[in-house]
Amino acid sequence: MSARVLAFINFKGGVGKTATVINIGATLAKLHRKKVLVVDLDPQSNSSVWLMRPDRWRQHVAKGQRSTFQIFDDALLGKDRFNFDDAVVKGVETWTGFTDLPRLHLLPASVELLRIEDRIHELRAPANYQVLERALGARFKEYDFVLLDCPPNLYSTTKNAVFCADNCVVPYVPDYLSLSGFHVLAEQVAELREKFSGHLPGRRKPNIGALIVSHYRQTGNVFRLAINELEISMANLQAIGLLSQDAVLLEPYVRHCVRVAESTSEHLPVILYAPGSIGAQDYSDLTQNVLNHFDSTK
Amino acid sequence: MNYTDLATHLLDLGERLQKHSRKIEGDKVGRSAKKLAQAVERFEDTLDSFLASRKSGELLLETMLRSPSAKRHLTVELLKKGLREVAGKRLQAEELSAARKEFVEVLHANEKGSQGGKFLRAAFEEAACVEPGGKDKVSLQREFVRLGGLSDEEYEKEIVKRTFGELRRLAATNGIKFTDRTGKQRLMALIRRFAIRAAMNISFDE
Repeated sequence: MSARVLAFINFKGGVGKTATVINIGATLAKLHRKKVLVVDLDPQSNSSVWLMRPDRWRQHVAKGQRSTFQIFDDALLGKDRFNFDDAVVKGVETWTGFTDLPRLHLLPASVELLRIEDRIHELRAPANYQVLERALGARFKEYDFVLLDCPPNLYSTTKNAVFCADNCVVPYVPDYLSLSGFHVLAEQVAELREKFSGHLPGRRKPNIGALIVSHYRQTGNVFRLAINELEISMANLQAIGLLSQDAVLLEPYVRHCVRVAESTSEHLPVILYAPGSIGAQDYSDLTQNVLNHFDSTK
Repeated sequence: MNYTDLATHLLDLGERLQKHSRKIEGDKVGRSAKKLAQAVERFEDTLDSFLASRKSGELLLETMLRSPSAKRHLTVELLKKGLREVAGKRLQAEELSAARKEFVEVLHANEKGSQGGKFLRAAFEEAACVEPGGKDKVSLQREFVRLGGLSDEEYEKEIVKRTFGELRRLAATNGIKFTDRTGKQRLMALIRRFAIRAAMNISFDE
């Protein structure tokens, strides 16, 4: 098995990074029978508490153990405590008390990740952005897809994710603030590509492979115009080499859906919580297009 | 709890029961054992049915029919096509829920559940695919931004040469909403307003 590793990045918050990771991951596992690993790299631990009951999550990652924090902490302290098999959570616990989605695995985060940024400078480049690849790279082979849920910044954990990834995926809310940020994000990823290039022999260089629109509303002109501006901006960035020619804006756009918000409180992906909802329908079709796009660019 | 934990639990219980089976007595433990035996029997039926459906492909068919994709893309026409292709049979029902039921029953009777599931999966995959806008879209978007960068006089001069059809195509491709009642003048004004906005908003890419 050779995993396709996708880093979901955007330094803007609230654009639907976690919702996209969880729901695409669950759809790949449930409907396409793919083996999927979700790696939570955000100190807010939203992917973790979406898929796990809070009490189970707190117990699992107590003091940062069995979490992505421990990977970084080990690298900083020169220790070897992180054990992938102990840390990974297999499947999602449903209301029955039993697990569903056995092909969906989660490597949870813990809030201690907040402390990593203050200490990561103790490691010199390139070691400071190779931590994740060194700890997990060999295990990625056990999966069809690895989805890295990044924090809303481009600091060390995100850089580690970009270094690991075959492609970056940018969740995007269609408004001007996102548009202006996207240009900067494309520049930053291009800069990282340059920085990493000497350390990634024989590998694809990380680039933005796709954008995914969340919180879409069909009323009025607002969102259609904003998406048109994004498409024009993407073409311009491709023309000046800041964005790969393979990068696409994937459809359908994920519409705003209250059932997706509700599903977080039930600790279930929306395709399990409300399979008939528009949120589940959008993620289902979107996942098909994620598969088609990344299979064609593999 | 996961199913592996449950299996371990049942194995442990089985071993203890076996070890002490000849010494157990009394109504209380008997009543409890009876309830457990009934629950185990029900669970065995459910598990056997799940494993059988998984083996025969019925599970795939059921998963596809209950998927979010079915909610969006499943139609009577698709079910008719599927039954014809997979089982060579004609679907009689004309209403979706009845058609769905008939589809499953006929496939089940013909042991074609797996093929039915695969047919639906392929159909949903095809339905989800979105064709890219193509070169025409890109050139109309470029034109839109160029128009947004013109002065008022230059814009006036250029835009009056366009046919109403060309303006409608330019507006529609660039996300401008209009109706059949939107006149040429109004459309020109809308294009002007949003083209200026687009040119300004993407200016940091230049």
